[in-house]
Amino acid sequence: MLQTIVNGLLYGGTLSVAAVGFSLIFGVMNVINLAHGVFVVGGAYAALALWTGLRLDPILALVPIMAGGFVVGAAYQRFVIGPAVRRGSPVAALLVTFGLSLVVVNGLTIVYSSAVRNVSPAYAFFSVRIGDVTIDAVRAIAFVTALVLIAALALFLRTTVWGRMIRATAQSELAARLCGVDARRVYALTFGVGSAFAAGSGVLIGMIMPFTPAEEVQWTVYAFVVVVLGGVGSPAGAMLGGLLLGLAATLTQTYVGPVYTNVVMFMILLAMLLVRPNGILGSAFRASR
Amino acid sequence: MTAAPILEVEGLAVAYGAAFAVRDLSFSVPEGGIVALVGSNGAGKTTTVQAIAGAMRPRAGRVRLAGAEVAGADCAEMVRRGVTLVPEGRLVFPQMTVDENLRMGGLNARAAPNVTRNLARVFELFPRLAERRNQLGGSMSGGEQQMLAIARGLMAEPRLMILDEPSLGLMPKLVGELFGLIQRLNGEGITILLVEQNVRQTLQIADRAYVLEKGRVVLSGAGSDLLDDPFVRKAFLGH
Repeated sequence: MLQTIVNGLLYGGTLSVAAVGFSLIFGVMNVINLAHGVFVVGGAYAALALWTGLRLDPILALVPIMAGGFVVGAAYQRFVIGPAVRRGSPVAALLVTFGLSLVVVNGLTIVYSSAVRNVSPAYAFFSVRIGDVTIDAVRAIAFVTALVLIAALALFLRTTVWGRMIRATAQSELAARLCGVDARRVYALTFGVGSAFAAGSGVLIGMIMPFTPAEEVQWTVYAFVVVVLGGVGSPAGAMLGGLLLGLAATLTQTYVGPVYTNVVMFMILLAMLLVRPNGILGSAFRASR
Repeated sequence: MTAAPILEVEGLAVAYGAAFAVRDLSFSVPEGGIVALVGSNGAGKTTTVQAIAGAMRPRAGRVRLAGAEVAGADCAEMVRRGVTLVPEGRLVFPQMTVDENLRMGGLNARAAPNVTRNLARVFELFPRLAERRNQLGGSMSGGEQQMLAIARGLMAEPRLMILDEPSLGLMPKLVGELFGLIQRLNGEGITILLVEQNVRQTLQIADRAYVLEKGRVVLSGAGSDLLDDPFVRKAFLGH
């Protein structure tokens, strides 16, 4: 039991990173990014490529992969999402994100096939025993990295001018523009940061579990559930939601059966929307920003 | 009223899709004056000032600021040029502290180097905000939020400050204080363009006022003259 809880929490840290970018993008722009999971899976395959090609450790690979995620995400907002929202509607943007995710997933399948892959650095098989609990080194490292990433994002949003501009735009776009904020640059920045975190979470996922291109759907759905659990827009909410979801998923896997994981997740999603649609922290979808 | 105009609006037209909220609107604001736009709901006052501040693009017409053509410029440029709109409904950032709200106001390149000085100035003007410096904007009363919205506007170092319905939802005692504050800011050299539904008090402090109806100017004159105008008395003052 204790072992399952520890595994769940370790897994949850990675889920938090996967969801925090989705949460930020929805909080600031009201865009549900159905391509979010693609950035997660893309990060995992990028880590695989750097590991097999250059023997670059996944933790070190986080830096170039997150930078790449930022650039691709910002450009994606600027040249794809932005025009779709301006010319059509948020629904048009939703469809565009969905279409793009299909293209990328099939591209990845062509290059890497649909076979299950994983990234296994040298320390992949080390583990530590504390009492009855075994902690794998990779999982612990991924968890600590996740905590550092979430804390860094929270600090960025709280203390920097750009972070303040992102929060202000989320809270009242008109007021932010009247203060002289260039909303279009803030949108590109937000999408860049959100995508960088998605790609970063993909690297961590690649370290701790096997992955396939088609799993992008699952990661988008998990991000959605985490955000519903924790509330929109805050790193703390994503952290809480991620840890809870990690626990729920691992407990289900161990005690009910692996095939029921998604059933339980959707039941949690339904129950939350019925009972507490503003998330556990009570931060309403709009007011939480 | 001999001062050169800081703002001249000529033939302004603004639309939401195919529906024109403002058409062929012209007025001017003299440097250092207080000019009021009054009119009933839906007359196009908010649309007009949002177009001037760059939050909406005009369909037609000219907007000149200190002689330079600025129609179609975005908010960031208008703020940089010295035009600040304190929007209807205050729109303070609810999940940011008073301090953070004020710093947002001072973002533009002209005001940014003077943030410390400007903070000291608005805290002197609004001691209440100094006391609540670390409180969240959304947790304050309506009157305090209005003060914060005006203080945030002042952080941008405006030459022309546009106030959209600042007295909306304030209790009568605070409304009096608000009009006193507007006159004080004007005395410090800031030109004021005031949009108000509180017609009597507005006309008392305005050098010049324009009455809007269905997106057009239907009447204009010195504030004190309009107070005695039969149309204004019947339509807005209730007798």
